[in-house]
Amino acid sequence: MSWAAIILTFALVDNVILSRLLGVWPAAGARGGMRAAAGVGGFMAVLMAGSAVGGWALDSQVLVPLGFTLLRTPAFVFLVASLALALQAFNGRFLPSFLRVTGVSIPEIGINTAGLGLVLIATRGEYSAPESLVAGLAAGAGYFLVTAMMTAIRERLEVEPVPRALKGFPLQLITAGLMAYAFMAFDRAFLARVLGG
Amino acid sequence: MTWLVGLCLLPAAGWGVFLFGTPALIVLAVSIAAAILAELASTLPFGRFTLRDGSAFLTGFIVGLLMPAGAPACVPAAASAFAILVVKQSFGGLGRNWMNPAMGGVVFALLSWPGPMSQWIAPKGGAVQGAVMPPLEALRAAMAGPGAKETTPLAILSSSGFTFSDLDSQVLGWINTHVFSPMGISLPPGTFDVLIGHVAGGIGIVSVPLLMLGAWFLLFRGIIRWHLPVMYLGTFAILAAVFGGLGSGNGWFAGGPGFHLFSGSLVLGAFFVAPDPVTSPMTNKGKCIFGIGLGTLTFFLRFFGSLGDGVAASIVLGNCAAPLLDRWTSRRVTGTQGGAA
Amino acid sequence: MKSEDPPALLFLGLCPAIAVSVRVIDALWMSAGVMLVLLLSGLAMELLSRESSGNEARHSFDRGSPAARWMRALVVTSFLTASFEAGLLALAPAASAALGIYAPLIAVNCLVLGRGMPGTHNLPTRRTVVGLLGRGIGFAASLVAIALVREALGAGTITLFALGGFGGTIVIPMLVEQPLRALGFAGGGLLCLGYLVAVSRAISRRAAANPAGGEAAQ
Repeated sequence: MSWAAIILTFALVDNVILSRLLGVWPAAGARGGMRAAAGVGGFMAVLMAGSAVGGWALDSQVLVPLGFTLLRTPAFVFLVASLALALQAFNGRFLPSFLRVTGVSIPEIGINTAGLGLVLIATRGEYSAPESLVAGLAAGAGYFLVTAMMTAIRERLEVEPVPRALKGFPLQLITAGLMAYAFMAFDRAFLARVLGG
Repeated sequence: MTWLVGLCLLPAAGWGVFLFGTPALIVLAVSIAAAILAELASTLPFGRFTLRDGSAFLTGFIVGLLMPAGAPACVPAAASAFAILVVKQSFGGLGRNWMNPAMGGVVFALLSWPGPMSQWIAPKGGAVQGAVMPPLEALRAAMAGPGAKETTPLAILSSSGFTFSDLDSQVLGWINTHVFSPMGISLPPGTFDVLIGHVAGGIGIVSVPLLMLGAWFLLFRGIIRWHLPVMYLGTFAILAAVFGGLGSGNGWFAGGPGFHLFSGSLVLGAFFVAPDPVTSPMTNKGKCIFGIGLGTLTFFLRFFGSLGDGVAASIVLGNCAAPLLDRWTSRRVTGTQGGAA
Repeated sequence: MKSEDPPALLFLGLCPAIAVSVRVIDALWMSAGVMLVLLLSGLAMELLSRESSGNEARHSFDRGSPAARWMRALVVTSFLTASFEAGLLALAPAASAALGIYAPLIAVNCLVLGRGMPGTHNLPTRRTVVGLLGRGIGFAASLVAIALVREALGAGTITLFALGGFGGTIVIPMLVEQPLRALGFAGGGLLCLGYLVAVSRAISRRAAANPAGGEAAQ
């Protein structure tokens, strides 16, 4: 795949949230305003890029040469979890306001399927190291974009009376579902035509 | 006000019913009835009666106008029901939905039933050879195939075997001989048909002049402002003119924007749907940016996409971004956040 | 909504799993994997905390940083998931292919669903098992219900196991010709989950309101 194809695929066509349904919770369950959402989105973007590259290194340099391919799942789970913890620690040390604003806690970032999912996609797609990095960054950008849109919509809904049973998380899921339909305009045929001519 | 918008769409709808006959009337009736029933089912149990605001009617009406006349009844019914129940009432009803209900319903139908959503009916008095197709669909099919080496959309259509009505050739023949031939130019076949909307297509979107009549009334009465439609159509026309010919190998500045402005649901979308005050940005600056964005999206989705003619899909995508645009372009503080970010 | 109360955990665990709720059979495999790994990892955690024996050790366990406790759960669930994946690949390669990247994600699902259960409270083993089983069944029931709706309406079929003369697929006569295909796409999964959460909330609110005599639920 060309660079443009990788970027468009991971950011729009196979959007992490809207197409692969990974990392839905941090986006849909988020509380707080736009700054918190931007924090979560940025956090996830860095995590995804790091995970994709780390996953490439782990898989092609360690697991495959040693013949430990059965241990992929535990290895990847550990990779993502430790990356998340490291990022968390970094944030706690250098960006203390981040934690206050986002309220992201260890379980919530650790239990994040977006990082793990991206490692799995990148390794199963047999991307090279730079390709994994670009894929991770593009996926992160797509994640950031969708989170920002969902938060802006949620902020608008917060001032409106909505049906009681749907208030909050369910409505965020429905919002995400409608957004997913809208984003289906960017399908594989679209990608092929745009890049083909 | 909503009723007035519906009234402005009536001439175009009447033209569609005249062209396509009873099936068109049935599709319109089914989609409006389904929208009203869905509205009743989702409000009456909670002790509300909201039909009088006309929004359910308008949603059903617009859904019906975008449908091909040959669509089986279940398609407009499901599209209208989805529009009202999921896109609108889940969020609390009129004024709270962030996505335009009619466009949401149409996109749902396009995704679910691509086949039935292209069951076109030949217009009354039109030439029928082989499968009936709107010119836009035929153009896309011709451009996807090899050998579309003509310079304008209408020429591509003619060379691919697309035929227009006898009326078209008579009128154009007269005009060409009496008006244009002294000036050394001649209008290509199909100009008249496309201009007045004497072609296959969605029920209420074939006749651009009648839609423009309604739109002019809305603008005149101040119900919609010019910013969004002008920006939308302008951006689209410029992009189509500059880049539209690249796909058929004609290079730059060979897109034929006129043809594209007069086909598909562009005019209906730009004047009657996109300016919907609920789902578009509030400020004039926001509306301009929104319009430019919609024009760009529609250009890409029409020339490269596969979801209908790209108008419904780009409005729905634009709706996703509208609240974000509002944050950037207005000073209004919303939600729980203390200040603008 | 707090992320600690059981229904929220359930839906949190369901989020990535709805990607495999396009066909009923895939949802069944996914549920089987989650229930298996959840139960086994719960038992393993329980045994681990027993093994390290002594009330003092138990105490230090509980007082240990949440990160350490969490890492321990990570080891157990991820290895169990890897075993499940290997078993699935050997026994049912088609199912393994259908689950794709979502099979390894069972590890994360189980981490979510098992949160707050073993090693954190001094629960007897039986209570742990019953609790985990309950969450597993809740997960399976929700996922299969979503899959039933999505496949029946979205494709007009219900795909189950092939057994004897039964080919494995039930075809719904009318729907199969014009199904609501959009429900089978990712957006349909999100919509179904959204409405499922709403319905379960409405039910639990009613259940909470009735015996208590109109006490406000939230």
